[in-house]
Amino acid sequence: MKTLRVFLLLAICSTAVSAQDVSARLAGRVPPEIAALVHQLATSAAARGLPVDPLIQKAIEGSAKGVPADRVAAALRALVGQLDVAAVALQRAGPALTDTDAIAAGAFALNAGLSDRQVTALARASRPPYSVAATLRVTSTLAAMGVPAADAVDLVTQVIASGGATTEVLGLPAQVMSGVSHGQGVTPAQAAAGLARAAAARANAPGQNRSHPGKP
Amino acid sequence: MTMTDFHPQVKQLLDGELTLADLPLELRAEGEEALRLLAAVDREPVTFPGLDGRVLTELGRRAKAPGFWRRLRLRPWTLVPAFAAGAALALLLARPIAPPPATTVTVRFVLFAPEAQQVALAGTFNQWDPAATPLVRTGTPGVWAATLTLPAGQHQYAFVVDGARWVPDPGAPAVDDGFGRRNSVLSL
Amino acid sequence: MSGRDGAPDGQVVRAILAGDTERYAELVTRYRDRYARYAARMLGSLDAAEDAVQDAFVRAYDQLAQCRDPDNFVGWFFLILRNRCFAERRRSKEVAPLEAAGAVAAAERADVPVEAAEQRRALQHALLELTPEQREVFVLKHVEGLSYSEIAERLNTSVPSLKMRMHRAYDRLREQLRDRA
Repeated sequence: MKTLRVFLLLAICSTAVSAQDVSARLAGRVPPEIAALVHQLATSAAARGLPVDPLIQKAIEGSAKGVPADRVAAALRALVGQLDVAAVALQRAGPALTDTDAIAAGAFALNAGLSDRQVTALARASRPPYSVAATLRVTSTLAAMGVPAADAVDLVTQVIASGGATTEVLGLPAQVMSGVSHGQGVTPAQAAAGLARAAAARANAPGQNRSHPGKP
Repeated sequence: MTMTDFHPQVKQLLDGELTLADLPLELRAEGEEALRLLAAVDREPVTFPGLDGRVLTELGRRAKAPGFWRRLRLRPWTLVPAFAAGAALALLLARPIAPPPATTVTVRFVLFAPEAQQVALAGTFNQWDPAATPLVRTGTPGVWAATLTLPAGQHQYAFVVDGARWVPDPGAPAVDDGFGRRNSVLSL
Repeated sequence: MSGRDGAPDGQVVRAILAGDTERYAELVTRYRDRYARYAARMLGSLDAAEDAVQDAFVRAYDQLAQCRDPDNFVGWFFLILRNRCFAERRRSKEVAPLEAAGAVAAAERADVPVEAAEQRRALQHALLELTPEQREVFVLKHVEGLSYSEIAERLNTSVPSLKMRMHRAYDRLREQLRDRA
């Protein structure tokens, strides 16, 4: 039926892999040598199932900031490396978890200071209804706020393990921020730890269940 | 020909019909050896991203098909490079959880920059174009602000002061931008 | 993203046979990775496994009219893949098993300590020394987690004959691993 059309529409909307699409977004925003590099990297990245949008964004960003072309090129290659590492880290958690959105979120997490093992751990913990990409982004935001990566991972997995609503997970950065601004001299790490203790107290199950990849 | 056959009861252990505790003492060591063997089994899931795209491309490439399949004609847009279909199908296969409702959120960006002549906002939501979103002076001296309606999701941004100085938002989470500076992160 | 991916296999197969050939994509999507691991363990190489799975999907499409039980497309597909895997082993017996085993077991896994990775590699290598039938019953039970009766149903054989095959496999594996130690 029309399913393949829907698939392709998704591809264009979400991964922008067509060459024309890439050109259109870069037009007038990046110098020609960067555009050529983006096309090259995007083609090989997309062939590996990696998202292309982060590359386009980063190229545009670097050019807008007046960054020299070779520095932009280096950043783009580094980003591809992060996307690759993220894809592998997610694959370790389960074959169905390597959608491009999750990979982009995984690369963002690595950039924010999480390790690839932490990315795998978060992906494993994020069984439905939790979204892998959302979990990764929330944890990355916490790390970006100054919560040490390990504490951020602990907090998020604790909330998930205690059966917290998905909206609660999404609201964690705001809660930590609130804890910091309302407490006196409370650091982000301390605010996060307090929330993690509260979640643990609510939990009545012994943490995440790692299900054996079972019968086909 | 070596005589290293496992004892039948150890084979039952391997089959999962007995536990280590069920084995007589003299077979425990052999039982543990057997369990170590099972522990070395690699059960890591395997995935082949892009394979579905390649299958469909291959099927679309076939000019002739016998009998019933002569009518085979995958639509032209399935012949786009394999990775496109693969990426799209991979997206579907991953079954993302119910995406957040497609909402927009109104956000007010504020920067205290008393010495500045002009302040702008640049980020993923406006192609990092400093000309696109200038801030305006507010009633409070030194305070600049802009209000934007942005789609829900995660955005990166920074302020651009006097057209040249890129400044992250002091109150927001910050990440490395890959160029030696920091970007601010906004999650809606 | 909802809607279509819920249609049962039988329905999709019948729709394809009725002319809606594009819907084969749904089956490919649904089962793309279902037997990826099985193929990888049987062949000892991710590349060979990927080729085998891809080939099996293409063959299944070509022969779809011969699928006797459309409601069990996946079981029929499995047999096509199985035959392909068995044929592959016969064809590439000359491939140095060590490299082949390494290709699967040595994939970067930072979270697996070195000794564990070595043991995995050794076992995969030892598996490749078994006959395909012995390797298959071991993989289906201990990698895929099927029970003997599930395997028997899938391979259309009896539980006692499977156990005999498996027990022979256990002994040969032990022998291989000891020789290597």
